[in-house]
Amino acid sequence: MIPLNFYLVLSALLFTIGVVGVLTRRNAIIVFMSIELMLNSVNLTLVAFSSFLGDATGQMLVFFVITIAAAEAAIGLAIIIALFRNKQTVNIDEINLLKW
Amino acid sequence: MAEHILESISLFLPEIALTVTLCVAIIADLILKERNQNVAYVVIAGLVITTIFVLRQTGLTETIFSDMVAVDPFAVFFKIVLAVSGFFIVFFSMKCRELDANKKRIGEYYMLIVAMMLGMFIMVGATNLLLMYLALELSSIASYILAGYTKRARDSAEASLKYVIYGAVSSGMLIYGVSILYGITGATDIYGVNAALQTGDFSPLALLTAGILIIAGFGYKVTVAPFHFWSPDVYEGAPITITAFLAVASKAAGFAMMIRFFKVSFIDTALLDTAGVWDIVEGFQWNIILAVMAVLTMTLGNLVAIWQNNIKRLLAYSSIAHAGYILMGLVVLTDQGIASMMLYFVMYLFMNFGAFYIAMLISNKLDTEDIEDYKGLGYRAPLVCVAMAVFLISLTGIPPTAGFIAKFYLFAAVISAGWYGLVLIAAINTVISLFYYVRIFRNMFLIEPEGDTSKIEFSLSSKILVFALLIPTIFFGVYFRDIVDLAQASVKMFGL
Amino acid sequence: MDLYAFFFYFFAVLTVGSAFVVVFSRNIIYSAFALMFTFFGVAALYVLLYADFVAVTQLLVYVGGILVLIIFGVMLTTKVFSVEMKTGTLNLLPATLFTAIIAGMLIFVFSATDWNVVPDQEWDTTVYGIGALLVNEFILPMQVAGVLLLVAMIGAVMMAARDWTKLKSK
Repeated sequence: MIPLNFYLVLSALLFTIGVVGVLTRRNAIIVFMSIELMLNSVNLTLVAFSSFLGDATGQMLVFFVITIAAAEAAIGLAIIIALFRNKQTVNIDEINLLKW
Repeated sequence: MAEHILESISLFLPEIALTVTLCVAIIADLILKERNQNVAYVVIAGLVITTIFVLRQTGLTETIFSDMVAVDPFAVFFKIVLAVSGFFIVFFSMKCRELDANKKRIGEYYMLIVAMMLGMFIMVGATNLLLMYLALELSSIASYILAGYTKRARDSAEASLKYVIYGAVSSGMLIYGVSILYGITGATDIYGVNAALQTGDFSPLALLTAGILIIAGFGYKVTVAPFHFWSPDVYEGAPITITAFLAVASKAAGFAMMIRFFKVSFIDTALLDTAGVWDIVEGFQWNIILAVMAVLTMTLGNLVAIWQNNIKRLLAYSSIAHAGYILMGLVVLTDQGIASMMLYFVMYLFMNFGAFYIAMLISNKLDTEDIEDYKGLGYRAPLVCVAMAVFLISLTGIPPTAGFIAKFYLFAAVISAGWYGLVLIAAINTVISLFYYVRIFRNMFLIEPEGDTSKIEFSLSSKILVFALLIPTIFFGVYFRDIVDLAQASVKMFGL
Repeated sequence: MDLYAFFFYFFAVLTVGSAFVVVFSRNIIYSAFALMFTFFGVAALYVLLYADFVAVTQLLVYVGGILVLIIFGVMLTTKVFSVEMKTGTLNLLPATLFTAIIAGMLIFVFSATDWNVVPDQEWDTTVYGIGALLVNEFILPMQVAGVLLLVAMIGAVMMAARDWTKLKSK
C-alpha cells in the first residue's frame, strides 16, 4: 500500500508544474492548460485525503472543482477567442495596451 | 432532512429572489425586443423585493442548509450594503454612455450584475469552505465577463483575459488550501474546522501552508498586496460602472467572507471573553501575516497612485490603499475592529461610488479619463466638481465628512488594541494620499480652463443621483451615532 | 514490489512526465495531447484510491469536455495549422526561484506531516455516498453550481459571439 504522503507529494509536484506554466508561458491557452493542471492536483489531494480519512465529502468536493474548472475554461477560451479576433495574437505579453 | 431543507428555504428568500430576478432578466431580454432600459427596470424590481426579504431577516441568528449558510446580523448588514450598492450600479449603468457601444447585449449585462450580486450575497453568509469557494467563483465568473463587456475598447477584452488568468490561479490556490485544511481537520464547514483545530492535534506547518494559500485566494478578491496585481489593469479596462462595483461591493463581500472565515475557524473559543476580544488557536499567527499585508497594501496603493494620470487607474490604486486600511480592523482581533470595518464599508460605499460616478459623468460629456483634461472643469461644471471635491475630501479622511468618521473609528479600534505602529503607518499613508487627491482638486479649480470654456449641463436625474451620494457623505460625517450603533450591533455572528 | 505500487509509480511518472510536456513543449498541439495523458494518469490514480466514480467523471469531463474545448480554442486562434505555433517563455529566473520555494515548502510539509489517517479503509462503491451527500447536506452548493454553469454558459456565448463587423468599421 502506498502511503498518503506519496500522493500528496505527487499532487504538490503537479501543482508546482502548473504554477511554472502560468508564470513562464506566454501563450494564453497554455496558461489555461497549466491552470487545469493546478486544479487536477487539487482534486488528487482531495481524493487522497478522502480515501485515507474514510470520508466521502472529499470526493464530492472534486465534482465541484471539476465544474468550476469547466466553467473557467469555457469563459477563458471565449475571452481568448474574442481577443484573438481583435488582435490576432494569443501571446499575453504582446497584448500590451495595458501595462502587465 | 427534507423538513430541514424546506425550513432553510424560508430563510434563504433574498438569494432566491435574486436567482428569480436573474432568470426573469434573461427571459425579459428575449421578449422585450426594443433594446432600451427595460431589463434594468426588471432588475430594480428584483432588487427591491430582495431588499425587503433581507430587511425581514434582521435580528435572526440561524444556520441553514446543514451549516452551509448563516443568517445572522453580520450577514444581514453586509447584504444591505450590497443591495444598496446594487441599486446604485444599476442606476449608474442606465446613465453610462460607455455601455451604449454594446447596446444589443445590455440584457446580458444586467443579468450578469444580478449573478454577481447573488454570488456576493452567498459569500457574506457562507459558513462552508466549499460554498465560499463556489460563491466566490460565481461572482468572479460574472465579473470576468462584465470586465470585458464594452466593445469600444480592445483593452476591455484584454482586461478580461488578465482578470480571468489571475482569478483562476488565485482561486486554484484557495481551493488547494481548502483541500489541505480538509486533510488536517476532516471538515469543510468552518465550525467543524474550528472544533478540530482546538484539539491541537495537527501539524502547525501544514496549517500554515493551508492558511497562506487560502489568504492568497481571499487576498485576490479584496485586492490586498501582494495579490492585487490584476486590479489596476482590470479597473482601467472594465466599464466604469463595473469598476465601481468591483471596488466597493466585491471588496465588501470578500472582506465579509474573510472576516467570518478567520473569526470562526481560527480562534480559541475557550478564551473568548465578553469584551469582544478573542484569541487565536495555537500554531497559526494569521493576524501577523495580515498586518504585514495591510502595511504593504496601503503603502503601495498610495505611492503608486501618485503617478497615475487616468482617473480610473488612480481610483483603483486608491481603493487598493483603502483595502489596506480596512484590513487593519481584522488584525487586531477585537469586535470593535470588526465593527469599525463594517462602518468603513458604509462610508466607503457612498464616497467611492461618488468619485466614480462623477468620473463617469465627466467621461460621458468629455470622453476622457485623463486627469489633465480636468483642468478648469470647476468653472465649467461647478456643481459636479464641488461634489467631486467633497468625495475626495472624504476619501482622504478629513472632517466633517463620512470618510473622517470611518477612519476615526478604525484607527481608534487599532489603537485600543495596542497596535500603535500600524496606526502610525496608516496615518502617514493618509497624508501621502492627500497628494493625489489634491492633484485632481487643483486641476479642477485652481487652473484656468483651456480651449473650450462652455458650461457643461447635466440632466436632472444625473444631479439627483449626485445628491443621493453627496448627502449621505456629508450627513454621516456630522450625524453618525445611529450608524455606528448599527455596525456595533451587527458584529454578532452565528455560533459565537 | 507489489502490483499496486507498480501501478502507482507507473501512473505517477506518466502524470508528472506528461505535465512537464504540457508546460515545456514548444508545440501547442503536443501540449494539448500531453494534457490528455495527464488527465488519464490522474484518473488512474483515482482508481488506485478507490474513487471509481470520480475517475469516470474525470475521463468524461476533462478528456471528453475540457480538452476538446482547449483543442478547439487552439484551432480557432491559429489561422493555419502549418504555421509554426511558437510559444516562447518569459521571466524564467524569478519564476524558477518562486516555484522552487513553493515546491520545496509543499513537498517538505507533505512529507514531514503526520496526517490523522484512518488505516485500512474498506471501500465499497462510492456512488451511493456521494449521491446522498449531494442531495442532503450539499444540496445548496449543487444548486449554486447550477446557477454558476448557467452564468458561465451565457457569458461564454456573449464573449465569443460579439458583433465584430461593426467594431472593425469604427
